[in-house]
Amino acid sequence: MDFDFNDDQISLRDAVAKWVEKGFDFSRRHAIAKAGGKTRDVYNQLAELGLTGLAVPEAHGGLGFGAVEAMVVMEELGRGLVNAPYAAGALVAPALLAAAPEAVQAEWLPKIASAEALVVLAHQERNARYRLNHVSTTATQSGNGWTLSGQKGVVPAADEADAFIVPARISGAADATGGIGLFLVTQGAAGATVKGYPTQDGARAGELKLANTPATLITAEGFEVLEKAVDIGIAAACAEGVGAMDKMVAITVDYMNTRKQFGVTLSTFQALRHKIADVKMQQELGRSMSYYASLKLGEPAPQRRRAISQAKVQLGQSVRFVGQQCTQIHGGIGVTDEYISSHYFKRLTVLEMAYGDTLHHLGEVSARMTDTAGVFA
Amino acid sequence: MDLQFTPDELAFRAEVRQWVAENLPKDLSHKVFNSLRLTEDDTRRWARILGSKGWLGYGWPKEFGGPGWTAVQKHLFEEECALAGAPRIMPFGPVMVAPVIMAFGTPEQHKRFLPGIASGEVWWSQGYSEPGSGSDLASLKTRAERQGDHYIVNGQKTWTTMGQYGEWIFCLVRTSTEGKPQTGISFLLIDMKSPGITVRPIITLDGEHEVNEVFFDNVKVPAENLIGEENKGWTYAKHLLSHERTNIADVNRAKRELERVKRIARQEGVLDDSRFRDQVAQLEVEIVALEMLVLRVLSAEKSGKNSLDIAGLLKIRGSEIQQRFSELMMLAAGPYALPYEHEALAAAGWQGEFAHAAVVAPLAGTYFNMRKTTIYGGSNEVQRNIVAQTLLA
Repeated sequence: MDFDFNDDQISLRDAVAKWVEKGFDFSRRHAIAKAGGKTRDVYNQLAELGLTGLAVPEAHGGLGFGAVEAMVVMEELGRGLVNAPYAAGALVAPALLAAAPEAVQAEWLPKIASAEALVVLAHQERNARYRLNHVSTTATQSGNGWTLSGQKGVVPAADEADAFIVPARISGAADATGGIGLFLVTQGAAGATVKGYPTQDGARAGELKLANTPATLITAEGFEVLEKAVDIGIAAACAEGVGAMDKMVAITVDYMNTRKQFGVTLSTFQALRHKIADVKMQQELGRSMSYYASLKLGEPAPQRRRAISQAKVQLGQSVRFVGQQCTQIHGGIGVTDEYISSHYFKRLTVLEMAYGDTLHHLGEVSARMTDTAGVFA
Repeated sequence: MDLQFTPDELAFRAEVRQWVAENLPKDLSHKVFNSLRLTEDDTRRWARILGSKGWLGYGWPKEFGGPGWTAVQKHLFEEECALAGAPRIMPFGPVMVAPVIMAFGTPEQHKRFLPGIASGEVWWSQGYSEPGSGSDLASLKTRAERQGDHYIVNGQKTWTTMGQYGEWIFCLVRTSTEGKPQTGISFLLIDMKSPGITVRPIITLDGEHEVNEVFFDNVKVPAENLIGEENKGWTYAKHLLSHERTNIADVNRAKRELERVKRIARQEGVLDDSRFRDQVAQLEVEIVALEMLVLRVLSAEKSGKNSLDIAGLLKIRGSEIQQRFSELMMLAAGPYALPYEHEALAAAGWQGEFAHAAVVAPLAGTYFNMRKTTIYGGSNEVQRNIVAQTLLA
């Protein structure tokens, strides 16, 4: 039981923080958002740091790092409010491809590590909300290959991605966990159309329509792999939230210490002091559960899924509370586009809804309830 | 970064678990598991059993006869005791006054007071709060005037937990009115059999006698009972708080009580009602998050880092969670939480007038009793001030 980072992890954190300081200031984020949210060049710069290969096995040209290293990177990207589909491309996609035949891995993983290819999970459907098992996109075998038909929504960086990993139903009812295949679809494949749009946090997503689109099979029974990859995405979202909360709280504390009203600094008002104490509570409960999420990723599926949902409930509540209250403490400036804290607020809000919002995951915790509970239960 | 305890720590836990299983009387754990009233004898019995093993002063260093456990070992010991349904160790002697005596007392005071605390023979009470000094403790007025080789103590203490059984009481008393209020306070040990001491019960909203008022009327206290120097008592009292005390979060008890919430809710037919079940799920998340917070503080202690900024959160969150589980238990019981069956608290095996009476009768009382947790030990509003102080200029 030890929550200290080792020297390598501290160096990794410092390297990312240093790049953020030099390469990604608020004006850059602002400009990206104004231009529609395209971030491929940011993603490519993260590749130059070696970060896109973080989760790719060494045999495929990556670093083969683990969950704690991913958490460290995500915390720093969150702190810097770095706008790039890093978790989707560098953490979630390699976890999905781990289930692919060796030839498919050999073709794609080195390109992911180098950022030559940005591959993203396209799993959300209109009526599925956050349920991973609700898949109505269909997969049909034709000759030696497969074709997919259906629509996936709010796909991260959809029009900048080079390929998509698409869950599609091979067999079974719309909600069955069996019969869900995972497929790789390349950008521009026959019958595939992408309509991109900006998102609330200044990034980009899009709708992916598939009509008899040729696809490469990753695995025919992909539900458990999908769950695992999404859990990795959730742990990443938690860690990013921690970094973003840290910075938003720091900005707010600075503001309280300097902004004067009624002739005194905001920090002298007990109503606000208690508010920031409550913010600190949510921030630290969030950090605690982010650690929990990353450290539980290696557990067997039932324990892992329960822990991840518990973490996402806490993070969802933490990021919402911290975002709302820090905005409130700022007063009018907090709701302007020109001020950085509103951008933290929007990113935190998006993170609450990433891979299942708080109510969804509370339902998961509820469904997975056992007689005992606790960190080691 | 690693969530698991070391093999040594796990072996230690197994040893404690086995010893507790073999030595904790079943009638005591039955009472704890069902919120029945613990008598004076119950509490003394468990204290003596722990004392005979050398574990009552479980936080003590070896040089004072303690086990010399690490912060993690102490945590594991507390967890095993809580999960097994052991009565709470009354903290006033072994956890609160003993470390002050060790740090600031004379060798004579060590010899005189520590053995009785370690063995569980002497029941200590705490004399801090006064009618006019609650959260603002430094404003306390109970006077101690030096007359030759004695102090004469006059005044009143209140909220003295289990003071009706106390044999000794450690008090913060005013020995000077000069300077800041904090600088005129001394730390005095007082024999509760001294002439001039009167203990009167305060009955709390649950109808229980847990706290007391203690009156001091010209009580003669030998000067040798002063700890350290006169007017330095505030520093000594703060020393107590400067140790990161993760047990203030009471997370192990919360885990035990969450299991009980689920049992009662299942028995009363609401565990599968999604509106109720989701609230249990929410509490479960909060308890895991609190436990992680506790483990982070322990880890920081292990690696010698300062974690006071998060340790300050433990009391706030822990107390809120205690209130929450008691609330959910009462709500789970539904209308049958309402009958006020005072005798239900006393008797193991009492069955009452209606089905499940033995199980549900104490629940509303526990809920009412738990309101104290966000008030005592520095109210949660005072705690928020302290947290804000660590953040703001």
